[in-house]
Amino acid sequence: MMQRTRYFVIASLLVLGVGVGTGLVAYYVGFPAGAFARRGGPEELQYVPRDAAVIAFANVQEVMASELRQKLHKALPGENGQREFANQTGINIDQDIDRVVACLSPNGSTADMQGSGMVLARGRFDEVKIESLMRDHGAHVEEYKTKRLIIAEHTDHPGSFAVAFVEPGLIAVGSTNTVRTAVDLHQGGDNPNTGVASVTGNEELMNLVRSLDSGNVWAVGRFDSLMSRARLPQDFAGRIPPITWFSVSGRVDGGVTGVIRAEARDDEAATNLRDVVRGFMALAKLQAGSKPEMQAMLQSLELGGAGKTVALSFAVPSQVFDAAAAMLPKKQP
Amino acid sequence: MKAPGLWPSSLRVFDLSLGQMLWSRRSVFLALLLGGPVFLAIALRVVDMLHRSGFQVNGAQIGGSAIFGMMIWLLFIRFIVPVLGVFYGTSLIADEVDDKTITYLFTRPIPRSAVLLGKYFAYLTCTILLVLPSVMIVFFLLVPIGGGSIGAAFPSLLIDFGMLAVGLAAYGAVFALVGTRLKRPLIVGLVFAFGWEPAVLLFPGYLKRLTVAYYLQALVTHEMPQDSAVSMLLQVFRETPSTPVSLLALAVIIALTLWSAGRAVERREYVLEQ
Repeated sequence: MMQRTRYFVIASLLVLGVGVGTGLVAYYVGFPAGAFARRGGPEELQYVPRDAAVIAFANVQEVMASELRQKLHKALPGENGQREFANQTGINIDQDIDRVVACLSPNGSTADMQGSGMVLARGRFDEVKIESLMRDHGAHVEEYKTKRLIIAEHTDHPGSFAVAFVEPGLIAVGSTNTVRTAVDLHQGGDNPNTGVASVTGNEELMNLVRSLDSGNVWAVGRFDSLMSRARLPQDFAGRIPPITWFSVSGRVDGGVTGVIRAEARDDEAATNLRDVVRGFMALAKLQAGSKPEMQAMLQSLELGGAGKTVALSFAVPSQVFDAAAAMLPKKQP
Repeated sequence: MKAPGLWPSSLRVFDLSLGQMLWSRRSVFLALLLGGPVFLAIALRVVDMLHRSGFQVNGAQIGGSAIFGMMIWLLFIRFIVPVLGVFYGTSLIADEVDDKTITYLFTRPIPRSAVLLGKYFAYLTCTILLVLPSVMIVFFLLVPIGGGSIGAAFPSLLIDFGMLAVGLAAYGAVFALVGTRLKRPLIVGLVFAFGWEPAVLLFPGYLKRLTVAYYLQALVTHEMPQDSAVSMLLQVFRETPSTPVSLLALAVIIALTLWSAGRAVERREYVLEQ
């Protein structure tokens, strides 16, 4: 073998060896893609408990400023919920909140589907006004690890609801236990040895979160955990594909574009799920008929994914919302 | 003196042919072919770094793993692997005939089929050592786009490596047979790889079993891209044999075509044009 041929073979094997070695380290040690790419996820995730089954994120400022939101705002008859929320808490969603992270942890002890949840909102809040408004509605204040917890008892179902200002510009609203955990995580940081661990240590979930980073709204969760608590009829539950994780990521601007991903239990289940989705896509394309706005949306559907992952990307153009808005009753001046 | 056996002779031819293959004019073409996906991946990565809103297909965002899967399908499976098989496989013996150097090899005290076998292994080594590093670089450049995990996607890369190696072996063996049996092997090879195979895969029936692509595509773990009407038709009529069946079929194709090519080389009288 010529010397330069030998050098070529060695160089090629070296590239392969380094690549395979790096891949194996990534696979077994589980180092994040951060070594090769940016770290994903909003910083509020460090206050989300590790056992969260569902996490959702919304960049409120982007969504509220979007063309789509402006159209809906003009078309919808009224936004009473938003007004009522402002009256109760003193928070104007349009102006005061930049982004929110929400989480839901099913209660381990009970088969309570509602579980415990929390919303972490980043923005500008008038702490005094919020506290006084909540006191007016019967809440009381409790000191917890140097933080003031404003606790309100529910009248219609058991459990209490709390608000805490975790750090300047960050408010935690949710079930009292979860808000306390957020305060614990703020004070002590992520430390699984003390039993206080944040979701940022859940590499499986964080990998999914990183893949959703480009959307201005997204949600990710354990499908199997939610389904096991959903108390569905036996024969209906048996027909649901064996999905472990799901994620939805979207970008709201003129329309909505996004990707729905599901991770099946195994490759075979993923193939079956892809076949089902493909069938529905074909059916929907046939049904779209001569509606150009629906055809544009259905043409955007793209089924993808490899191995256990099934991904469906979509784009809902603004024309679809225009058509929907035209069917709504006109807003009263 | 006893003549060397088939395997020692093949090894000697392999040693000789590997250098010739690597440093021939055809290697420039090979470098361009495999450099293309790497440059494309670098460009995509740069675009991703400059525009943090991610990549969109038909307005919907896609991650790095999906882009990598698309490149494996469209560039490697459907183009690079068959092209390498056609250009290198058909030329294993045909080049020696065209250059009128086949006589030097056939007058050595070695089995004639050892010439083919040694050259075939040289082709396989040369292409594998070029294709796999190219795929590896593309993988590391593309998968982290959109926050994809190297660790999570790594098992599918190893499957891709195996699948590409088997594909190169199968196409190389088929076109080696074409090169030893037919007069204009390159044209026949191109018609087979880019005419017969894609056409037959479009229709339902048994004819697709007479292609390499049918078994090879069953080993791909990435979802087939729906980039055109042809791809949609391929999706509709796609029958996927199981992995063991595909591997067995490809092994049979490799063994059978190499054996036939070896027999053709042993028996055929090559008349060199003056």
